[in-house]
Amino acid sequence: MTAGEPGPNEDGGPPCAWGSPRSSGAESGGGAESLGDGGTRGSSEPAGRAPAIRPFLLTAGRVAGGGTGPPLPVETQVVATSSGLSGLDSLAFEQHDLVAACRHPQSVAELAARLHLHLNVVRVLAQDLCTAGHLAVHVPNARTTQDISVLRRVIDGLRAVPDSRGTLRDSG
Amino acid sequence: MVSVPSPTHEAHSVTAVEQPPLPVKLVIAGGFGVGKTTAVGAISEIRPLTTEAAITEVAAGVDDLSHTPGKTTTTVAMDFGCITIDPTLKLYLFGTPGQDRFGFMWDDVVQGALGGLVIVDTRRLDDCYAAVDYFEHKDIPFAVAVNAFDGEVHHNLDEVRWALDISDHVPLTVFDARHTGSVRDALLVVLDVALSRAEDTTAN
Repeated sequence: MTAGEPGPNEDGGPPCAWGSPRSSGAESGGGAESLGDGGTRGSSEPAGRAPAIRPFLLTAGRVAGGGTGPPLPVETQVVATSSGLSGLDSLAFEQHDLVAACRHPQSVAELAARLHLHLNVVRVLAQDLCTAGHLAVHVPNARTTQDISVLRRVIDGLRAVPDSRGTLRDSG
Repeated sequence: MVSVPSPTHEAHSVTAVEQPPLPVKLVIAGGFGVGKTTAVGAISEIRPLTTEAAITEVAAGVDDLSHTPGKTTTTVAMDFGCITIDPTLKLYLFGTPGQDRFGFMWDDVVQGALGGLVIVDTRRLDDCYAAVDYFEHKDIPFAVAVNAFDGEVHHNLDEVRWALDISDHVPLTVFDARHTGSVRDALLVVLDVALSRAEDTTAN
């Protein structure tokens, strides 16, 4: 598999399942508006740009899973490629932030939470960056849910969790 | 433990700086304020993160905002955490809103989940009907856990099982969403269901 290609896609859809281009007007309803309060959350978030840009302006109006395939599962792992990291300077704004955040593997959901981006914006941008070779996107295989060895490993791992835990880390 | 090559990742020649773990997930469902985020936070190794999901899909169809007084727009928060099982395997825990009107986002989150835990507050049993129905309908392994707020359960488990109309094969347990060990054990109940089902499938 060449650089930038994601893992196998169970559903036979294209490996990077973009939403089909849609009128950005369709995305500009109350939901998009409501993201404007994203900047009021915890004090740990990066200061700087106010979330004044409507989410799907960042994706040129495209939405995830818009007809050409299922959206990336929320646990999909995304990690920067070495060329992505070395080419960080050529990227701007959200693309830059996404690649920079993926020095270590992250799930799509983690990226959305940490960068305060809409989940579906991350899905679209991650797939763009994957195509451009900046990120590797590892789409999980649906058969995992039936994989006895995986289930046993999870059970064993969970059993090892002690009755009480210390302080939680702020990032994974 | 022998490191088993992940069946879900192809052997990438991608020059990724780090090979990601195999991600698996469990879904924690239940009504508002039932303890989903508390449960996630009790067992997650990171402070639970929040993302707002699938807003545009729901914006057009929702007209009942009475449950969220003071909000003029619908935002759907999804809290999640994770547990690193080992360097090659990571378990994510996603808490999803349990009300019917949020059903739109469940497919998005639940797709590919190992199983689900439905948390129940016995004072508000009806809040979890939608989640129970959903997991049954989708044939996803799940268990129901009564959150014993302050150690109190207001109905006995037989009454809860009757009221929720859940089949005998669905485990029903009592737990405390604040305690790591208790959440761990509730999740293990779900995983036992998932494992039994996977074994049955393989045997047939």
